[in-house]
Amino acid sequence: MAKGGNPGKIVISPSQWVKIRKISQIIFFIIFLVIFFWSRREFYLNPSIESGFKEKFVNIPLQLDPLVMIAQAIASRKILQGSILAVFTLILTFILGRVWCGWFCPMGTILEWVPIRSWKKNQPSVPEWFRGIKYVLLMVILFSAIFTNLTLLFLDPLTIGYRTLTTSIWPGLDKVVTFLELQLIKVPFLSAAVGGFDSLIRPAIFPAHPAFYRFGILFFGFFVSLIALNALAPRFWCRYVCPLGGMLGLLGKVSLVGCEITSGCSTCGKCLPACPTGAIKDQGQIYCDPGECIMCMVCADNCPVDTVKFPFKISKFLHQPYDIERRKALLSVGAAAVGLGFLETNFIGQVQPPTPIRPPGVDYDRFLSACIRCGECSTVCPTNAIQMAVLDGGVEGFWTPVIVPRIGYCDYSCQACGQVCPVEAIPPLSLEEKRVQIIGKAHIDRDRCLPWAENQECIVCEEMCPVPDKAIELELVEVPDGEGGTKSLQRPVVVRKLCIGCGICENKCPVSGQAAIQIWVPSGGNQNGHNRRGGQ
Amino acid sequence: MTDLSRKNFLRFLAASFSSLYLSGCINQEKLLSKSLSPNKITPTSFLLGPQNIVEGDPTTEPEEFSTQEPSSTPTSIYPDLVVARQGDPEEMVRAAVDSLGGMGRFVKPGDVVVVKPNICASYHSYEYAATTNPWVVAAAVKMALESGAKQVKVMDFPFGGTAEQAYRNSGIQAEVSKAGGKMVVMSNIKFIETTIPDGKDMKSARIYDDVLRADVLINIPIAKHHELARLTLAMKNLMGVIYNRPYMHANLGQRLADLSTRIRSNLVIVDAVRMLMAHGPTGGNLADVKKADTIIASPDIVAADSYTANLFGVQPENLSYIKKGVQMGLGVKNLSKLNIKEINLG
Repeated sequence: MAKGGNPGKIVISPSQWVKIRKISQIIFFIIFLVIFFWSRREFYLNPSIESGFKEKFVNIPLQLDPLVMIAQAIASRKILQGSILAVFTLILTFILGRVWCGWFCPMGTILEWVPIRSWKKNQPSVPEWFRGIKYVLLMVILFSAIFTNLTLLFLDPLTIGYRTLTTSIWPGLDKVVTFLELQLIKVPFLSAAVGGFDSLIRPAIFPAHPAFYRFGILFFGFFVSLIALNALAPRFWCRYVCPLGGMLGLLGKVSLVGCEITSGCSTCGKCLPACPTGAIKDQGQIYCDPGECIMCMVCADNCPVDTVKFPFKISKFLHQPYDIERRKALLSVGAAAVGLGFLETNFIGQVQPPTPIRPPGVDYDRFLSACIRCGECSTVCPTNAIQMAVLDGGVEGFWTPVIVPRIGYCDYSCQACGQVCPVEAIPPLSLEEKRVQIIGKAHIDRDRCLPWAENQECIVCEEMCPVPDKAIELELVEVPDGEGGTKSLQRPVVVRKLCIGCGICENKCPVSGQAAIQIWVPSGGNQNGHNRRGGQ
Repeated sequence: MTDLSRKNFLRFLAASFSSLYLSGCINQEKLLSKSLSPNKITPTSFLLGPQNIVEGDPTTEPEEFSTQEPSSTPTSIYPDLVVARQGDPEEMVRAAVDSLGGMGRFVKPGDVVVVKPNICASYHSYEYAATTNPWVVAAAVKMALESGAKQVKVMDFPFGGTAEQAYRNSGIQAEVSKAGGKMVVMSNIKFIETTIPDGKDMKSARIYDDVLRADVLINIPIAKHHELARLTLAMKNLMGVIYNRPYMHANLGQRLADLSTRIRSNLVIVDAVRMLMAHGPTGGNLADVKKADTIIASPDIVAADSYTANLFGVQPENLSYIKKGVQMGLGVKNLSKLNIKEINLG
């Protein structure tokens, strides 16, 4: 309403609107970063304290994301209280069009800040039908969700943001800072200053001991390639690929406020190249496709005769050749069905599907249809136990959380992942409940374990075991001491009924390479389902 | 290179930084291990000067190396070891340390003091006796500050859970802050590769910088059970200041004794207020905890450990690190040769 600049009231000029929008982008981008760092820090410092606040606050960005929330609700057949926030975004879009993309989305903001295309002289042109990709992706995601699959949610812009920050940008920065600190601390007169600096930034920004994520470069590369696509067209991702943009675009087509080129247009064409999403078209007459318009108001700012207006009106659905129509919809259903068919024929097949270790309390049967691949659990895990899967759980489980005990163990006094999960795919458990979750069971490889294979003293796994009655017992045996006599030696044995599979034994096992004690998901499944995808 | 425009230069710079960055993404520990290679005296440790390489009370230092079982210090008018019983934790610490000659004997005005309690994991509160009693730690902090210490830092390097959480869950953070001490989270970059000149098996280790630089180290272990070492006491407690702990396990007794030659505990206060009798070092079962209300204080780390071992019914010579400690001349295990003072506050 205000955007139209009603005469008689305070008039905000288009250039001022553009400035306001840029400020809004900066503010929301900073909020996104602050939430990320703050959540990491809060859960790192207080992983066992339920404040009731931090859990809710942290999840607001994802709960505002309608694509994630709708797909999740369809796939898990369960509407979560927090998803109601997504309705707010939908209503906002219905009124004001794709303001999410132009004003709030952190991914869109980054893509706008990196205008690679302007660096290049000869600009390739992207065919218009590419715009249909985002609608097809959206349909495939929603149809797959009906088949309980959420794999393609890894293409949601917010989940990309969280994952990239968690697994590459933030640990990468940590590595660089650590590297510089380690070099500088050796300079005698700087060492005190470096120590002081270190205690300032740790644990406020980085953890005391550097975080590590597998495949960080893969996640970073994915993110960088999305930005690099800007070389083909400004906001390439937003224009052609982003499934969330597709969803909001469909709604934006009938939004109440929209860009309109009113009579009096001089057809100078200045708005055409200015528009970052190419929403303004010249087909005899200059007009704007509201489904592509992100309400950035750059066109109005560039208009020499001030004919670009944003009036409040009921607009009718303006059909475009790249829009979703029957054929594309059918194609999407087909793609979803065929894709799922292939996903279900996993590498190992029906007998024993891949069995990654999931975070504590996860119901294996419904996990893949509840997890939105946002990686927040991985962000908050204080020991880096939770890593993002690449092929650990089959293609279907791409970018879902898995526990890799050799990298980090599940801390006995932490319940952060369940608290932070925005969709309860990892159930929110109290510390007492979490402590008895069976994540897996430890198995000792007696061919490699030092006391078993080499008659060497080692009890690290027993020492580390956090279970009050110790899930690892030590058997006292007499063994040859290598000098003709015998010596007594303690050998670890797992007490299966006590083991919770936290993985600290595997993590701390001093044997090089693969640990001599490893966590495996029990063949019969844990207490929460049978570790099979199973029909829903 | 006149045609290297500023823009291109910046691009090259950005490219080289991002490649550095990417290499950071790939390597985890490499950067850390490479930068501080063993057998190299780092500038920081060099700066410390010879006087800090062997810490400890100069009056007791020469005789500690002289014989295998030195008799009690001839110059000392104080008992070698004090046991206080049946008081509240702070009372017992004060009584014990006062009988040793007061904290002023160990802490001089302006000293930087490091207090090393045992905060091995974040799992349980102090009642479970896996971590040192908070009031015992706080009492030592207060006494050090009363003796004019410039700063008292309290630190450990938990193996389970984050340090921040362990500090809080153990209750030590709250009491130390009240007492005026500073809890320090040990940071990765400050473990400095340090040679151990007197070490027999372990010749170098990455040791925490603050501990190396401290004027006084007060070692406050909790008396508890441990399957390999049998008991975790003061010498074992020092494992918390080094980086590579799995390495220690292979020859635990000797390596702990080696470490003790480099990291001298000026004062040892063993917290036996609650003793963990089984399922150590992590505990978690109140049934394993025995309330003993005892504090053992001594400048002699071997004597303190030997006395505490007796409380568990364990012969000191059966503990590998005590045996090796005696061989290395770190102290006295034979309690009959010691001047022991017992105080009952009950």
